[in-house]
Amino acid sequence: MKLDPAFIWTAFVKLLSAVPTTLFITVVSVAAGFLLGTAIALFRIYKVPVLGPLSAGYVTFIRGTPMLVHLLLIYYGLPAVIDGVSAAFGWSFRSVSIPYVVFALIAFTITASAYLSEVVRSGLLSVSSGQLEAAYSVGMTTPQAIRRIVFPQAFAASIPNLSNSFIGMLHGSTLAFTVSVVEINAKAQIVASTNWKYFEAYIAAAVIFWGLTVLIERLAGVLERKINIYNRGGVA
Amino acid sequence: MIRLRRITKFFGRNQVLKDIDLTVEKGEVVVILGPSGSGKTTLLRCINYLEKPNAGEVAIGELAVDCKRPSKKDIQALRRKTAMVFQHYNLFKHKTALENVMEGLVVVRKLAKEEARERSVRVLEKVGLGDKLDAYPSQLSGGQQQRVGIARALALEPEAILFDEPTSALDPERVGEVLEVIRNIAKEGITMIVVTHEMGFARDVANRVVFMDGGVIVEEGDPKIIFSRPKEERTRQFLKRITPEANYSI
Ligand SMILES: Nc1ncnc2c1ncn2[C@@H]1O[C@H](COP(=O)(O)OP(=O)(O)O)[C@@H](O)[C@H]1O
Ligand SMILES: [Mg+2]
Repeated sequence: MKLDPAFIWTAFVKLLSAVPTTLFITVVSVAAGFLLGTAIALFRIYKVPVLGPLSAGYVTFIRGTPMLVHLLLIYYGLPAVIDGVSAAFGWSFRSVSIPYVVFALIAFTITASAYLSEVVRSGLLSVSSGQLEAAYSVGMTTPQAIRRIVFPQAFAASIPNLSNSFIGMLHGSTLAFTVSVVEINAKAQIVASTNWKYFEAYIAAAVIFWGLTVLIERLAGVLERKINIYNRGGVA
Repeated sequence: MIRLRRITKFFGRNQVLKDIDLTVEKGEVVVILGPSGSGKTTLLRCINYLEKPNAGEVAIGELAVDCKRPSKKDIQALRRKTAMVFQHYNLFKHKTALENVMEGLVVVRKLAKEEARERSVRVLEKVGLGDKLDAYPSQLSGGQQQRVGIARALALEPEAILFDEPTSALDPERVGEVLEVIRNIAKEGITMIVVTHEMGFARDVANRVVFMDGGVIVEEGDPKIIFSRPKEERTRQFLKRITPEANYSI
């Protein structure tokens, strides 16, 4: 086999058109997963009846099963549910009209929510109880104290873990190709299929993922330094 | 002003406060003394409900709260009538000195930002930190942090300030600067309850000294009398241990 360096460049340029799709899937599922994960973390920390134990079970199940399985379960299971509900109510809506990318977004949000709930939970637990007590002592309500005092500190402490999760979800988003979403990985396959230069196409894909990953790490680094100016201590 | 009636507190099976009655008049400075583990911190924290008493009544001014069934609103109201200065400062780590003081004024008291800032600057200047407004807690010494803590409490203009061993986490050479600040506030006639082991401070500043041991108030009274002629043997033993000069005769 002979490597065709010129085609790496050609593929690279063509793959760029799929970058927005990859980023869209990643950003949406991380953002939605973060919100859901935060709720889950709060249910667990505050030991909310029913929701607390339910959340704990959800997290072990999702973390105990592969991301690809979440995607396939949603892809094959959700349409049946939607069509069933739709038929029962006599609606004309059918699952075939749902774009493929929506299944990927839902499945990846579920994946991300379980992992991010653990990130959020450890962030919240890293804030000392004295901070909350001080907030109460000046008269804040629990929601005020959480919003103004606990969350900002938990977030600052979580940035490295958040950045890791984000990168994990970026790489995991390649699975979306199994449900016909044309993200970077799927695009590489398409680009190579005309001339069988898969190796070159995947090298180009690898370079793009690497670049995106470095970018995320850099951004997280900047954010961490900016947000953590109040933290002079620590081991570093 | 502050009336505690029959306050009872258990941690599991361990009864930490046993039917405590205590009244503090407006403008009074009450110092609570007692060996470690006697329940001083717990008592103080029951007043602003950082600890929930199992039974009894906490009253501040017109507001009386039955500890059997306090509503969220009652607890909130008690907290808004008081402020606390903590042993370990508990400053909001992610906020500057100025922001620490402003926080309660803006979020809880709903003051306009500008007004809150003006008042906060004034109070920080009063505790000698006019040049540290933008410093984060991690950039301040223990004594400076505790003075921010005092400013945070003072700015709220509460009906009473609760101090829990405000100087016991400080290096010895920093204790004086913080006591000095507390002394000055005391002169302004703010109601204060101070848990401390600083006998000199208690003698000079307190209107009344309360001695606790084993979850009960053993004895209370004028500091001059308590320190020179305590009625109870337990008080005498404690004072003997804590006042070094008393030991020279051994
Ligand atoms: N959160 C808690 N859980 C269980 N026991 C506690 C807790 N806080 C305090 N105690 C116990 O209550 C007793 C009184 O403690 P504390 O009020 O801190 O005493 P002091 O401030 O006089 O040293 C001690 O025996 C302590 O171990
Ligand atoms: Mg104590």
